[in-house]
Amino acid sequence: MGSDLKTDVLVIGAGPAGSMTAKWAAKHGASVLMIEKRQEIGSPVRCGEGMSKDWLPDVGIKPGRWVNVEVEGARIFSPNETVFEINEKHAGNEVGYVVERDEFDKQLAIDAANAGVEVRLKTAATGILKDDGKVVGAKVKQFGTTFDVHAKVTVGADGFESQVGRWAGIPTNIALKDMDSCLQYRMTNVDCDVRFCDFYLGKVAPGGYVWIFPKAEGLANVGIGVQVSQIRSMAEPRDYLDRWIAHHPAYSKGKKIDMVGGGVSISPPLKQTVMDGFMVVGDAARMIDPLTGGGIANGCIAGKICGTVAAQAAQRGDSSKEALLEYDRGWRARLEEKLYRNWLAKEKLCSLSDETFDKVVDALKDVKLQKLNVHNILKAVRDKYPEVTKEFEAFL
Amino acid sequence: MPSKKSLHIESSGQLCIYCGACVGICPLNCIYLDETRITFDEKVCTRCEICVKACPVGAIEIG
Ligand code: SF4
Ligand code: SF4
Repeated sequence: MGSDLKTDVLVIGAGPAGSMTAKWAAKHGASVLMIEKRQEIGSPVRCGEGMSKDWLPDVGIKPGRWVNVEVEGARIFSPNETVFEINEKHAGNEVGYVVERDEFDKQLAIDAANAGVEVRLKTAATGILKDDGKVVGAKVKQFGTTFDVHAKVTVGADGFESQVGRWAGIPTNIALKDMDSCLQYRMTNVDCDVRFCDFYLGKVAPGGYVWIFPKAEGLANVGIGVQVSQIRSMAEPRDYLDRWIAHHPAYSKGKKIDMVGGGVSISPPLKQTVMDGFMVVGDAARMIDPLTGGGIANGCIAGKICGTVAAQAAQRGDSSKEALLEYDRGWRARLEEKLYRNWLAKEKLCSLSDETFDKVVDALKDVKLQKLNVHNILKAVRDKYPEVTKEFEAFL
Repeated sequence: MPSKKSLHIESSGQLCIYCGACVGICPLNCIYLDETRITFDEKVCTRCEICVKACPVGAIEIG
């Protein structure tokens, strides 16, 4: 047994959402302990490394050396490879910067530490401490020693594979249709265009897409997400990705220098994100944008709110569910409407045939869209392919 | 009692890339990933095969 610890706020997981939560809780005067089960924050990387950028100032993140390239926009390729270009402002939350994700995560952890957060590596939560139904901390293990951390507020920020939320009693299970299984190679010697993040839709990646995120001239992340409910046999995401690469000479001549994988939720957000003494944030709260698969922005935005509410609760000595609901209301006000809308759009897109995809993208490419919103997209499609519009009636 | 099928996670690094996809999707929360060690709770697992599909590289086999 190690000796037990006491803190105002315990944050489990040092990804972007965890570091943001910890930093903002510390900035608001709380004592904060952030634990990370891995030995190195940000590593291994599990993500495509694309993110939008307009939200960064709002949560206090300054661009640093973690930025690889700044892209102008996104290109959407339909199954017959009709291309539609969107500028960065309208392209959703994975387009803007391509980043060095491990550097980014480390920078956020540094910001948190500099704000006063205590960070412990190789420290895993192994269970939740409860007192009369209320979460009062966690059982943790560090370097083989187990001890208790008593906290006024405990925050689960343990990512897609979150277990803390489930241990605490918040249902975080996801349906097979609400998850993409992802695989990505970093490839060198490829002909990528550093001005764009590219997305290939349709049967090349059922229920997901193939992405190309340029890291530098000749270097790109080439990845795929496939909806788990559409996977029929073992290792299909890898087979789909290898097949796609084989059919694209600009990439098949490349060399793989790195390989990462992961799960991405493409679900609506959790119905419940707080309980007495406990909050869940980021990918663990299924805050990933179900349409784009981007989770960093939402995790950080929610993290700031979560940290602020955690500090207030600790100071007032009231971490009841009612008090913590301020966080729940706060992040929903910022993110929920869009998450639901994009989830519905994702449900629709997953059901489209390749022919329909081709028509939609073809209709879009003719139009100089002033503003890329659902209404304008539908109008463009209706003008050119009226027969396709009925597929989208639900959105009108 | 019918005997359960066997589930094998190839976790020596030959196939598994420690990505956590299986951990997140397992409906019974019975897979554990600790850096480069992956284990599952034999007794809790129902052999539903969901993790087999979710694994992007085919490191989980059931038979
Ligand atoms: S077979 Fe089902 S219950 Fe068993 S580890 Fe896989 S997902 Fe979990
Ligand atoms: S999904 Fe496959 S590769 Fe990823 S951790 Fe599980 S067994 Fe390993």
